[in-house]
Amino acid sequence: MGQRRGPDIVHRWEGNPVLSPEDVPFRLADICNAGVAKVNNEYVLLVTIQGLKGYYWIYAARSRDGYHFEIEETPLMGPSGEWPDPTVDEEGVMDARVTPFGDSYYVVYNAVGRNGYRLALAQTSDFRSLQRLGAISEPDTKGGALFPEKINGKFVRLERPWEGGSIWLSYSEDLVYWGESVFVMGPRGGYWDGNRVGAATPPMKIAQGWLFLYYGIKETSAGPLFRLGAAILDPEQPWKVAGRTNVPVLSPRTLLERLGDVPNLVFSCGALIEPNNEVKLYYGAANSCICLGVTSVDDIVQTCSESRKEF
Amino acid sequence: MVRLKSGRDLFHRWEGNPVLALEDMPFRCNTVFNGTPVKIGNEYLLLLRVEGQQGYSFFALARSRDGYHFEVHPEPVMLPAHDRPWNDYECAGIEDPRATCIDGTYYVLYTAVSGRGYRIALAQTADFLAFERLGYISEPGNKDGVLFPERVNGLYVRLDRPFGRGIGSIWISYSKDRIHWGNSRVLLAPRPGYWDEFRVGASAPPIRTDAGWLEIYHGTKMTSSGPIYRTGAALLDLEDPARVLARCDVPLLSPRTDYERIGDVGNVVFACGAVVEPDTSVKLYYGAADTSVCVATARLQDIVDCTLNGSKPG
Repeated sequence: MGQRRGPDIVHRWEGNPVLSPEDVPFRLADICNAGVAKVNNEYVLLVTIQGLKGYYWIYAARSRDGYHFEIEETPLMGPSGEWPDPTVDEEGVMDARVTPFGDSYYVVYNAVGRNGYRLALAQTSDFRSLQRLGAISEPDTKGGALFPEKINGKFVRLERPWEGGSIWLSYSEDLVYWGESVFVMGPRGGYWDGNRVGAATPPMKIAQGWLFLYYGIKETSAGPLFRLGAAILDPEQPWKVAGRTNVPVLSPRTLLERLGDVPNLVFSCGALIEPNNEVKLYYGAANSCICLGVTSVDDIVQTCSESRKEF
Repeated sequence: MVRLKSGRDLFHRWEGNPVLALEDMPFRCNTVFNGTPVKIGNEYLLLLRVEGQQGYSFFALARSRDGYHFEVHPEPVMLPAHDRPWNDYECAGIEDPRATCIDGTYYVLYTAVSGRGYRIALAQTADFLAFERLGYISEPGNKDGVLFPERVNGLYVRLDRPFGRGIGSIWISYSKDRIHWGNSRVLLAPRPGYWDEFRVGASAPPIRTDAGWLEIYHGTKMTSSGPIYRTGAALLDLEDPARVLARCDVPLLSPRTDYERIGDVGNVVFACGAVVEPDTSVKLYYGAADTSVCVATARLQDIVDCTLNGSKPG
C-alpha cells in the first residue's frame, strides 16, 4: 500500500489562517496576500489590505516563529499623494514582493491609479520605514519581483505585462531605466495555468538556478481558479526556463481557500527558504486571509523536473 | 460681401493625392499606407509600410525631388527578422515606422508584431536601405512610438501608446542610452465626447517650435461601424515635455475624400511624420484608409495658432 501524499506538495499548517480580519485591530474590507522577509530572527510580512473604502494599503506584521504574527496598527505604505504624479498610486499600493539584496531589502509592489497598475520600487532596511524609489514599469504591468543579486552586472526583474498574460523579464543598470524585456514563459493551453500566469514569489537562489513560485489561472464558468506552480530559471540566462511544474504545487481546496471575496484562490507574494531547506510559503486564501504552507526545496525541484509523470 | 473660405480642414490636401497607391508599387502587394518622411539635402525619402499579399507588413522606400512625385525602390528595404532572438517578436510583421534624426543619426521606431503582442522596436540607418536593429524598447502591448529629435536635459525622450486600465493614452518615457527606459507617465488621454474620445496615439515625431514641441497625434472616436481616425495637435513644454501647454480641441485633418473613406480600413487618416520646409510650410504624410499614402500641407504657424486657440471653431 502506497504512502499517502496529501493533496498537494505544499502542506498546510494546521493553525491556518496566520492572519485573518479577526486579528487586525481595525475594520477592513479584506486581506489579500503578503510578501515576506526574515530580518535577523524576526519574520516580517508585508500584508496587502483592502480598506473599507476599497483602496489598498500595505501593513507590516511581525513574528518570532513564523507562525504567530502581530500586525501593526498603522500602514507602512498607502497612497502617497506625492510623486512626480500623485495619480500613480491614488487608489493604493498592493502585492508587495520583498527581495533581500546586499544589506537591505527591495520591495516591488503595484501602484494603482486611474491610468493603470504600475510596478513601483521601494527600499528598506528595517520595514519600519520605506523609501519610495518610483514607478518602474509601463501601465498594467503586475507581478513584479526583483532578483536577489545582479546578473551579468545588471539588476533583473520578473514582471507580468497585461498583454499575453505571460511572465517577462527586464534589465536595468540603475533601477530607474529598464529595458531588454524578454518573454520567459506563458500560459499553457488546456493546463491548470492555461489562461494567465505571473510571478508569485520573488526568485530565490538555489543550486539549480533561480527558483520561484508562480500563479496560474484557469478560467471556469464561475470565474478564475488561481493555483500555484513553480519554475526554475537558468542561473546566467534567467529568461531560459530550466524547469517548470506541469502540475500545481498548491490548489484551493479548504474552505479558507474556497470561500471569500475572491473564491477559489491561492495567491502568494513571498516564501522563505529556511537553513534546513524547508520552504515556508505565505499565501493569500480567497483574498480574505493569509495562510502558511510548508514544503521543501527538494520537493519543489523534483516536481519541476519529474512532474511530467503526473497525471 | 466676400467671406473668406477656410476649407474643410486646416491641412490642405494635395490635389494629386494619393502620392502612392498600389499601382505605383514595383512589386505585388496588398496595400501601401503609413509612411514616415525625411528630407536629406534636396531629396525626400518616404519609408513606407507595405502589407504583403500574405498579410504581414514590411517596409519599402520611396524617393522624390519635390515631395509629391515619388519612385519606389524595386525591393523591400526591411523585412521581419528571420533570426533569433528578433523573430520571436516580429514574426507577424513590422508596422508604422517613424523616423527621427538625432545628432546626424537616423533612428526608426516601429511596431513589432508577434503572438506575444505589439511592442516598439528601435533601428538605426544611414541610407534607409540598410537597417541595424538596436533593440526592443517597450514591454508588450505598446505601439505608436516616436522619438524626440533631440535630447532633453541630456535624456532621450519618446512618446508611446500603452494601454492602462484599457484606456489608450499617449505616455512619455525617458532614457539615457536609448535601450533602457523609465519615468513613464501619462501625457495625453482621450477626452470624453470629443473626436479623440476613444484612443489617442502619437503620429509624427515631435517638431520643435518657439511655442513648444508640436506633437501631431491621431485620435479616434468609436462609431457603430468602427473607429474614425483623425489628426490633432498638442504643444509640449520645451524644457519639460511631460507638461502639456496646449491641445487643439478640433481635428486638423479628418477623413472626407473617397481615398480616405474607401479602403481596407475606411475612415482613416494616419500620419507617421511631417517635413517642415525652409519657408515653414509643413508637409504631412499620412496613410489613407490603410490603402494609400497621401500628403497635405499647412503653415506651421497656423497649426501652432490653432493648437493654442483650438476651441474657437466650436
